[in-house]
This record gives sequence, C-alpha cells and structure tokens, in this order.
Amino acid sequence: MTSLPGPVHAAAAVGVDLTPEIIRLEEISRLYVTGPTEVRALDRVSLAIPRGAFIALMGPSGSGKSTLLNVLGCLDSPTAGRYLLDGEAVNGLSEQRLADIRQRKIGFIFQSYHLVPRMSAARNVELPLILAGVEPAERRRRVAEALAATGLGTRASHRPDQLSGGERQRVAIARAVVTRPSLLLADEPTGNLDSHTGDEIVALLQSLHRAGLTIVMVTHDPRVAAKAERLLTMRDGRLESGPEAA
Amino acid sequence: MRASDVATLAVESLAGHRLRTLLSGAAVGIGVAAVLLLAGLGDAAKRYVVDRFAAMGANLATISPGKTETSGMAAMGVVGAERDLTLEDSEAIRRRVPGLSATVPMSLGSGAFRHGERRRDVYVVGVTAEYAAMRELKMRRGVFLPPGDERAGGSLVVVGPKLAREVFGAEDPIGRMVRIAERRFRVIGVLESKGQALGFDYDEMAIIPVATGLQMFDQASLHHVIIQVSDPEAMPAAIERVKAVLVDRHRGEDFTIITQRAMLDSFRAILDALTAAVAGIAAISVAVAGIGIMNVMLIAVSERIAEVGLLKALGARPRQVTVLFLTEALILSALGAAGGIAVGVAALALGARLWPDFPLAPSAAWILVVVVLALVSGGIFGLMPARRASRLPPVEALQGRR
Repeated sequence: MTSLPGPVHAAAAVGVDLTPEIIRLEEISRLYVTGPTEVRALDRVSLAIPRGAFIALMGPSGSGKSTLLNVLGCLDSPTAGRYLLDGEAVNGLSEQRLADIRQRKIGFIFQSYHLVPRMSAARNVELPLILAGVEPAERRRRVAEALAATGLGTRASHRPDQLSGGERQRVAIARAVVTRPSLLLADEPTGNLDSHTGDEIVALLQSLHRAGLTIVMVTHDPRVAAKAERLLTMRDGRLESGPEAA
Repeated sequence: MRASDVATLAVESLAGHRLRTLLSGAAVGIGVAAVLLLAGLGDAAKRYVVDRFAAMGANLATISPGKTETSGMAAMGVVGAERDLTLEDSEAIRRRVPGLSATVPMSLGSGAFRHGERRRDVYVVGVTAEYAAMRELKMRRGVFLPPGDERAGGSLVVVGPKLAREVFGAEDPIGRMVRIAERRFRVIGVLESKGQALGFDYDEMAIIPVATGLQMFDQASLHHVIIQVSDPEAMPAAIERVKAVLVDRHRGEDFTIITQRAMLDSFRAILDALTAAVAGIAAISVAVAGIGIMNVMLIAVSERIAEVGLLKALGARPRQVTVLFLTEALILSALGAAGGIAVGVAALALGARLWPDFPLAPSAAWILVVVVLALVSGGIFGLMPARRASRLPPVEALQGRR
C-alpha cells in the first residue's frame, strides 16, 4: 500500500492508483464561528481512502480528527472543499439526501455506544433496518445474523443495562453493520473499555475488515492504532503523514 | 419506515416513561370526561324537559282567534273583518277534519269561587268532556264533565285539588253547591294533583262546560280550540284541513295555529345552545391538556437529544424524526381520550342507575367531537416539539448538546 506523501498531494497520489477509492477529500475545510473567534477544525484536508482499507486516525484533542470523522460520515458538512463518497459528490446535498446516504452506506460506532436504553439488544440492532423500511421477516433474519457475527447470539433479548461494556459495543457494531454499509466509522470504540475487552473489540473490527469492510477509526491508544492497516495523524486541523501501520 | 413500526416505536418510548405518560394522558382524559359528562347532562336535561312537555299533551295543536303573524297584502285585507272562533267552528273542525282523536273548544275567564264564608279568585276554564283524556287528567274523587252536546252547557264544576282543599277543608266537596262569579254550580269531581304546566296551574282551576263559560263571561269567541291527532305524522295534514275548514267558514285566515311541536322545537333549540355552551367550556380544558402534552414532549425531546442524534446517524430523515415524535404525542392524547371516554361513559351509566327518571346517556356525536378535539390538540401541540427534534444538528445532538 502506498504511503501518503503529504496532505495536499495525497489525493493525487492515490488517485492514480487503479483501486477504486471509496473516499476522496479535496481541500476540505471546516470552519466554526462562535462570536468573534473562528476555529478552523479542518484546514484544507485532502485524502483518498481505497475501498477495503482499515485506517486509524490519531492526534491530540482538538486536532480535528472527530470533525474529520463526522464529515466522512455526512453528519457534518464542510465549509469548503469537495467530498466524493463512492464517487458521488456529497457536499451541498440536502439533509434528506445526506440521511439517505448515511442509511445506505455508513455505519457508526461511538465511544459511549449510543444504545437506546429501553430497547433490547436485538431491537437496537433492528433500529436502522426499521428506519430503512425493511420488512419484519427480513429484519429478523439480518438481526440474528449480525448478532451471531458479533458473538451476541445469546444476549439478544437483554437490555443495554444488563450487558457489559464490551457486549454493548458489540451490539453497537452489530447495529452498524446490519445495514451492510460500505464504510464503518468508529469514534474511539475502545475508549470506555479495559484493554482486554478493547482488544476483543479491535479483533472484531479486524475480522470485519478482512471480510471486506472499509473502516476508519479514531483512537487515542497507539496500541489500538497499531492494529489498523494504516495510520493517519492529525494536528491543528491538518493531516500529517503517519508511520505506516504493520 | 412502516406505519406499524412508527406506532410500535412510539408506544415503546411512552411505556418507558409510565408515570409521565399517565399524568399527561390523565390531563387529556379529565378534559374529555368533563366534556362528555356536561354534554350528557345537557342532553339529558333536554330530553327530560321535552318528555315532560310531550307528556302534557302529545300531538296537540291550538287554534286561536286572530292572526298574530300578519304579513303581506292578503293578511291586510282581513283586518277589521276578523271573525269570532265559535263553538260552531269547533264543531265544523270535528266533523270535517279526518284523523283527529279529539277536538276541544276552550273558554277562559276568572272570577270569585265561593262556598259559604270562603272565597277564592280562580281561573275558570270552559271545556268539554274530551279534555280530561286529552290532558291526561286523573280524578281524585267524583267524575269529570259528562259527555254530551257541547252547546248545552250546564252548571257543573270540577275543581283542582288545591282549590278543593282551600275552600272545603276536610269537608267532602262532591255534591256541594258553590258560586262562581255569582252563578250557582254543583261540584261533581276533584282532580288529582298534576302541578303547573305551561303556566296552567291545574291544581287551582275550576273546570266548567264550555257553553256555560262563554255565556257567564259574555264571550262571543272561544279562547282557543285544541285539536289532537292520534299519529304525529298526521299533524301537518290535519292543520291544512283545519285551515281549509276555517278559511271556508270565515272567508279569510283570521286565526293562528300553534303546534306543541313548534313550542318543543324552540325549547330544544334553547337547551341545545345551553349544552353546546357548557360542553364548549369543558372543551377548552381538552385544549389546555394539549399544552400539557406539548410540555411533556418538549421534556422528552430534550431528554432524548442524544437519541435523536443517533437516529440521524442511523440515517433517519428529519421528516422521520418529526413523524416519530408527533406519533408519540398523538398516541398520548389518544390514550388520554380513551381513558376519558371510559370514565365519562361509566359516570353517565352510574348516574343513569342512580336517577332512573333522568335520561342520562353518552352520545356518539359528543364522543366523536372529543376524540377529534383531543387528536387535533395533541397534533397541534405535539408538532412544535417534534419539529424541534427533527432540526437538531446530528453532531451536537450525539454529544447531548443542541
């Protein structure tokens, strides 16, 4: 895999690659204006991510890595630049179109799991399928499949407060992949877990990656980052070239 | 998103906050129950009054001399040529109008009723034998006026129970001679108490043959003629026939016909307006309960900001978020309405059991009104919080910020 030579030229570098890229950012900026102060959370970031990559995104707090993840996930819109997801220009789309793209193409995992507390594990996993209007029979089949794939087959009827942290994150992963997205975005997925449980979660992500899923994972933990295929580091809203992961 | 899934999700989240759901549903329920109870009471009062009036004499119409509602040139023509309404007119109506079960000519006067030292001023009503059956008068003692030629008269009197008590005391009035307006009468009967109705106090009346009444008060015209039909449907036709007969005899329409039904209709209209006003006031409480729903939904939205963020991350469109929260508000008000209907109907049933004479019953129309009202107010007041949720920016919402 080619290493990324620099933030501005990275896109061009990968662009000549024959691998069809899933993500292409061109000069993306995200500006926050709060009163008189102006924060440049993303500063002309260019990046290309090939299909099937597993990328760890590191950087100090406030470096813009979460903002980058939110932009990649179409949760946040860049103030400047161009974003192509699966070859489709995403910036400037209506909220409804962005919602549809998130539904079809993107799965999210969060540090705090974001499970709905009143719903069982199975119901939580079912939620994105309900929003997508999938038939109940088909939903049951896919939920069972996703729970089995994340090793939660026997915990389907438990509510989040009856599950351990690791189990909750597995439910969240099952929910993220049940829609068969092409891109999985993980925001500190091991941040609330002990290292052993964290390793299990990363192992699960690795196996999903081997099965063909593209993953971008924000993390603070160099040990976790090392499990990814490639490492990107951010500082002050810019991408720095990172050491290539093992 | 499938409609059944939307409903299930809404119910799940309402079930997650049982106490809050119960309280805000109860606010709607109390309003709905109040509307049903007040409307039920109003409707029952109307039925009660109407039934009472109908009991006074079903299927009746009165014909009075003189045109009270004059209009147009034709009416102008008969002014000054107004004829008396006579016993012969009454007789003609009886003979020539089919379908009448009774025709009673009535005179009215007042005078001193004296027996020995006692004296009392009374209304003196002149009628015929048919009057007792028509007004459903019952006899306490003795008999009513005997049937026979209504032009014959006679010096017989039937007295109301109160009049009998005041004048005769413990004495038996039957067969006693009395003086009414200086004319001698023999008491042949005492009425059972019936109470006041339409301004007529039967309990204090003296009832004599109509011909005698006209003669002793020197009246040329009857006060009015009452006709009764056996079938209420026959009333309009009977009235037309009566008109034809009298116009034929009087060469003009110099009389007025009033049906009992017309009077009942105006009573109904008044009571309907009263019911609507009272129930309308109660309906305001349903609308106020809608504000309670808005409050609850605003709390629900602010508690579930992160959940809204999650829904958006999972690909929920803004519209879907609106629909989810609005459905919650609607189900909340529907639950409240259902509870209120149950309470209202049960209370009316209980009232009907406690007061069997008072016709308390829930009305389907009012139930429909309150259901629509509850849903509309739930929808209107639920929309604002739902839209607020749908507009939350996903990134901030996921972090629990708005």
